[in-house]
Amino acid sequence: MSRPAAPLRQKFFTFNVAVLLFFIGAGVVFAYFRFFHGFASITNLSPGFPWGIWISFDVACGVALAAGGFTTAAIVEIFGQGRYHPLLRPATLTAFIGYFLVALAVCFDLGKYYNIWHALVFWNGTSVLFEVAWCVMMYLTVLAIENLPAVVEQYKGNVQLPGSLGLLDRPTNWFLGRADQVLRRTMAFFVIAGVVLSFGHQSSLGTLMLIAPYKLHELWYTPLSPLLFLTSAVSVGIPMVIFEATLATKFFGRKPETELLSGIAEYIPSFLGTYLLLRIGDLAYRGVLAKAFDGSLQGYSFLVELSLFAMPYFLLKRPRIRANGTFLFLCACSVILAVVLNRFNVFLIGVNPGNGYNYFPSVGEIAITLAFVAFGVLLYKIGVNYLPILEEQAPDHEPA
Amino acid sequence: MDISRRKFFKVTAAAGGVAACAVAKPALAREAKEPDPNEYGMLNDSARCIGCKACQVACKKENKLPTESSLEDSLYDSPRNTSEHTYTLIKLFKDDKRGVSSFVKRQCMHCVDPACQSACIVGALKKQPDGSVKYDAQMCMGCRYCMVACPFNIPQFEWKKAIPVITKCTLCSESRLAKNKPTACSEACPAGAIVFGRRGDLLKIARSRIEASPELYVDHIYGEKEVGGTNVFYLSKKEVAFASLGLPDFDYRPVSGLTESIQHRIFQYFIPPIAVYTVLGGIMYYNQRRKNQAAQAQGGEEHE
Repeated sequence: MSRPAAPLRQKFFTFNVAVLLFFIGAGVVFAYFRFFHGFASITNLSPGFPWGIWISFDVACGVALAAGGFTTAAIVEIFGQGRYHPLLRPATLTAFIGYFLVALAVCFDLGKYYNIWHALVFWNGTSVLFEVAWCVMMYLTVLAIENLPAVVEQYKGNVQLPGSLGLLDRPTNWFLGRADQVLRRTMAFFVIAGVVLSFGHQSSLGTLMLIAPYKLHELWYTPLSPLLFLTSAVSVGIPMVIFEATLATKFFGRKPETELLSGIAEYIPSFLGTYLLLRIGDLAYRGVLAKAFDGSLQGYSFLVELSLFAMPYFLLKRPRIRANGTFLFLCACSVILAVVLNRFNVFLIGVNPGNGYNYFPSVGEIAITLAFVAFGVLLYKIGVNYLPILEEQAPDHEPA
Repeated sequence: MDISRRKFFKVTAAAGGVAACAVAKPALAREAKEPDPNEYGMLNDSARCIGCKACQVACKKENKLPTESSLEDSLYDSPRNTSEHTYTLIKLFKDDKRGVSSFVKRQCMHCVDPACQSACIVGALKKQPDGSVKYDAQMCMGCRYCMVACPFNIPQFEWKKAIPVITKCTLCSESRLAKNKPTACSEACPAGAIVFGRRGDLLKIARSRIEASPELYVDHIYGEKEVGGTNVFYLSKKEVAFASLGLPDFDYRPVSGLTESIQHRIFQYFIPPIAVYTVLGGIMYYNQRRKNQAAQAQGGEEHE
């Protein structure tokens, strides 16, 4: 049943790639101003809102939405659900791209980005950010290792270096062969490490804003925040896999994998259920549920967030909904939007620093964020086009 | 077989959840840092301040800060808020209805247990033995988590610079305290509204002022206990609540208590991460062994 993964080898420069390059180009223009003329030249950041969408979307949402990597790895490799193996490589690739972009976005947001390595040398154990930085760095390394087998598989045995470097073909081949063996033997170690590291920083992102009890709205300021961040990240893992697989199907003209996706979607309601139980239980226990109905922006934002979480929970419990590719995709989108809105709520909408400060992202901030998204999509396209990521499909199939 | 597998999955998920709950449960705040009465600080007396802004000028001179004009002619230094160029600022709070007005000085509070120090990823902000909270621009990477963490919104960022750093009041630690001189702002004050001294002495002065004229002052020294205590204190006129001076009714616990106890619990001797790793490893081993056994039982007929 399972076929090996293979590079797509499609025409690379399509109209869609041009669109992506346009967005990246726009971002580069704004990035010039950010790096040479200061934040004030293109951002709406202020002393009251030192963190804008580059942190709330590029970093917080970026990390959460890359959760497809560790959740799929856990389901397939640790919990032994081998039938979902075809979903593992694309999920691992997108997770790597996601974290790579998070790291890049952090460099855009840091005032002295060239000091980023200080986190390795100067330790402050009380800082939540310190823990996040370490976990993200280590997990990015683990993800790179988890993606290596695809690279090794592609080039092992057929290395053809140009010109006089051809002399190195055989040693490189030998090296790749050895690497293949070592990776096969040690991969289990990295897979588990990836899950543990993900647990660590996914939850710590939820701890970040707990240092500002007088700024963050009660609906989100809860000691349970780390656990809620973790459970919501786990909940959004499979929906991200569904989202990406559906889009890849559409844009690369592949056969839909609905059967596989609806199978793995069966886990979503239990994850979402756990999250909703914790979330509502926490609000009820702290007695702040009434705040959701006080007519404030924060109250409405919370209600939208909660319904986006709750709808797919009830819908995906039904096998008929799961079996329908369109409904499945819409439910996945709902969970993704819910998590994105939740992160925005915690880092921006629910924040009131006092002194009349308010924030709405500027054109420049949005342009740079869009450039990151476009860059991510482009990297994914490069990855699946030239590396064995997606499962090879039966040739008799007519693209839709 | 499928049932047992799913049951196993659920049991482990539940166990993981319980473990995570135990970790995330708010511990009692770690032991509070005791204020040191010998550290330096300042007492800002809103009842005595006449709003002359001599302290503002002295601060700008001492720290060589540029002027900030909010007027069209750009002639006068007239900042509206503390900023990267304005470490201290006199603000007027006016209640037209009751005809009460009051000046208040904004500046770094030099907390006993600073949130910025707890938050800083590299430890670039540190409480010094002299009482000041010192910032090290060389260490800083500009993440601005200190600005998020500070309940008083004190740390400022150089938004207009290509390579920005954080700026804030230094309590004149290196430029004056080290030379046995008081802070520039306190020396410039003509009204005795800014008193420089040791924390313990300042508390005594503040208390004696309240006792000497209870009809003039609110019976509270702001900063004695707020957010775990600060080294900068405030007195306010009887009719003017501290909150209306931009000094909110903060709890007496440091704001970093919760984050630090969560961090501490998760990483205590690395036990929780190692435990999770072991559990996951066990599950993986169990599942792979079962798969191999199943494959053997079927005589290797199945793929993989």
